[in-house]
Amino acid sequence: MNATENVKIKKETKNKIRVEFERTSAWTRFRLKYLSLRFLGTVVFKLFRLVLLLGVSYVILFPFISKIASSFMDPLDFVDSTVKLIPKNPTLNTYKQIIIENKYFEALFNTTILSLLCGIIQTFICCVVGYGFGKYKFRGHKLMFALMLFTMIVPHQTLQLSMFMKFKYFDIFGLFGLLGMESIDLTNTYWPMAILSLTGLAFKNGLYIYMMRQFFRGVPDSLEESAYIDGSGTFRTFIKIILPLSVPMMITVFLFAFSWQWTDSFYTGLFFTGRNSLLLSKIVAIPRTLDTTYAGGNLFAAAIRNTCGLLIIAPLIVIYLFCQRYLIQGIERSGITGE
Amino acid sequence: MKKEKKSTPKQTPVEPTPVATAIPAANAQAALVKGSPAAPKKKRKVVSLDKKKARAGWYFILPFVIGLILIYLPIIYDSIKLSFNEIIPVRGGGFTLSFVGFENYNEALFKDPNFYTTLTDGLLQLFIDIPAIVIFSLFMAVMLNQKMIGRAAFRAIFFVPVILSTGLMAEIDAANILQQNMESTEDMSGAQVENSGTQIVSAMEVSALFETMKVGTGLVTTVTNLVNDVYNIINRSGVQLLIFLAGLQSISPHIYEACSIDGATTWETFWKITFPMISPMILVNTVYTVIDSFTGTTNSVMNFIQDAYENGSKTVSSAMAWVYFLIVIVVVAIVSAILSAYIFYQRRD
Repeated sequence: MNATENVKIKKETKNKIRVEFERTSAWTRFRLKYLSLRFLGTVVFKLFRLVLLLGVSYVILFPFISKIASSFMDPLDFVDSTVKLIPKNPTLNTYKQIIIENKYFEALFNTTILSLLCGIIQTFICCVVGYGFGKYKFRGHKLMFALMLFTMIVPHQTLQLSMFMKFKYFDIFGLFGLLGMESIDLTNTYWPMAILSLTGLAFKNGLYIYMMRQFFRGVPDSLEESAYIDGSGTFRTFIKIILPLSVPMMITVFLFAFSWQWTDSFYTGLFFTGRNSLLLSKIVAIPRTLDTTYAGGNLFAAAIRNTCGLLIIAPLIVIYLFCQRYLIQGIERSGITGE
Repeated sequence: MKKEKKSTPKQTPVEPTPVATAIPAANAQAALVKGSPAAPKKKRKVVSLDKKKARAGWYFILPFVIGLILIYLPIIYDSIKLSFNEIIPVRGGGFTLSFVGFENYNEALFKDPNFYTTLTDGLLQLFIDIPAIVIFSLFMAVMLNQKMIGRAAFRAIFFVPVILSTGLMAEIDAANILQQNMESTEDMSGAQVENSGTQIVSAMEVSALFETMKVGTGLVTTVTNLVNDVYNIINRSGVQLLIFLAGLQSISPHIYEACSIDGATTWETFWKITFPMISPMILVNTVYTVIDSFTGTTNSVMNFIQDAYENGSKTVSSAMAWVYFLIVIVVVAIVSAILSAYIFYQRRD
């Protein structure tokens, strides 16, 4: 009220007016803005938030920092109680021996091929299946969806023996036996993983299908309808309209599929029993030349294992640095809801 | 638009279809008579749009259906069968199965000295962990959803565990913690470079703090265990955090605006708006957490079954796995039944 009384409006020129009013003094403004309880509360809250986020970030990142630090340490540093994070005798020997003796690059190559294969197939298949679940209502779709969730709930360990048997003596309903063929041994090849990926049954594929389904439910129907009206068929619409649209989501799914396949040890341990197919999951071992038995040996062994882990995830870190933006955006755009 | 356009060519064949369906119901012979002249007249079958769409839906989920029928269901069947049988190796490779009834289950549940205790301990631990993970991820999601400096960086850090701390790394980490425990009894604390979270927290001496408050030792140990387990909880809440963030982003800002105009505080806004709106996600996340932690590689029961598979009888481990699976199903059913009673669905469209 007070302010309006003090306002003076003066006509300066034809099209211009000048408003004159008494400005509140700087001190009053300062007092009202910064010396209030509300401001104090905001500051305290922001500090609390910052401290909390920093703390949790520290908890997340510190294991990596300590792993990196210990990977450069000499065995001598592990018996030295003054060494905590910064090695006194920095050495690259651990890396060198692991790379040479555990055949890191061979394993890296094999795992890259396997993960790319699985990642690409899974992304595409989950996209297709998710589209079917998200956009079409047909008889039995609820049952199929329930079965899809069921595949997610059953622990892999429950099925490992029969899954191994299935691919060890691969045969579809005894069809090969009827044709006079022997069952095929698919273990130690990429086929079991490829088949599981092609049918959307591989590790966490239920989650990917669910994510894709939620994403497609958010895509307006009118897009496809206009394509239909223009004479495009169902599959053409899918390839030309829907697939380009879902690229961010597909990148997210690919990132999950690729990196979870990369660090997977269950399936690789199950299907790759032989020595000839070396994968990254098998290089976590202590190189012979580094095997020591003296005082700091246990810690050194742990450090070597950690270094193996670091070497395994090094490519993933690079990928994550470039793709994390897509990961978050993809999820945010998906609008996953619990309906 | 679409329906009108598609229904115009449909109009002509609409008439024969009800006739075709009505006649065989009345008389099977009439259908035969009717079927023969209809076939040469029109070679192209005319299908209604709904049926066409339904068929397209089946085409899209075809890969999954094929896999389900040809691979998954036989595997499930085999696994159940194995748990009721015993493997007898045959000389010259191969094996035969002999039916033993519930013997494997009996062995797993009552004769094996460790399975039962591992199971109960694991379940108890999960009942503490699961609420902790869900609450923590919701809390962090709300924090990360606010506008602030360095939000992108914090988000990037928070999703590091989702990508990097799974599978192999989780296994290496699990071995690490063992290592650390071993070392601490040997009094080599000066050289501990491994794992982090536990160290910081034990320095804070949470238990000492709580014990003076006289709230009962049960609560104290629970809280202490939780705090000591914080690294684990953070590592396991990555996907949940993503799902919560997605949910928070989908809440319309208009509602918040209306609230702040009406003078609601942040606290009230959270409980009256954010919480109900995100409650469907709480259900999804709880179910996901239950499944994820029950079937994860770091789960103690899973590891026990894995051990039994590698070192003991394969059929008994199969039986153990099915017992465990039944428990998981029951827990998921109970949790979702309880939670879905309290869920608020915003009516859309």
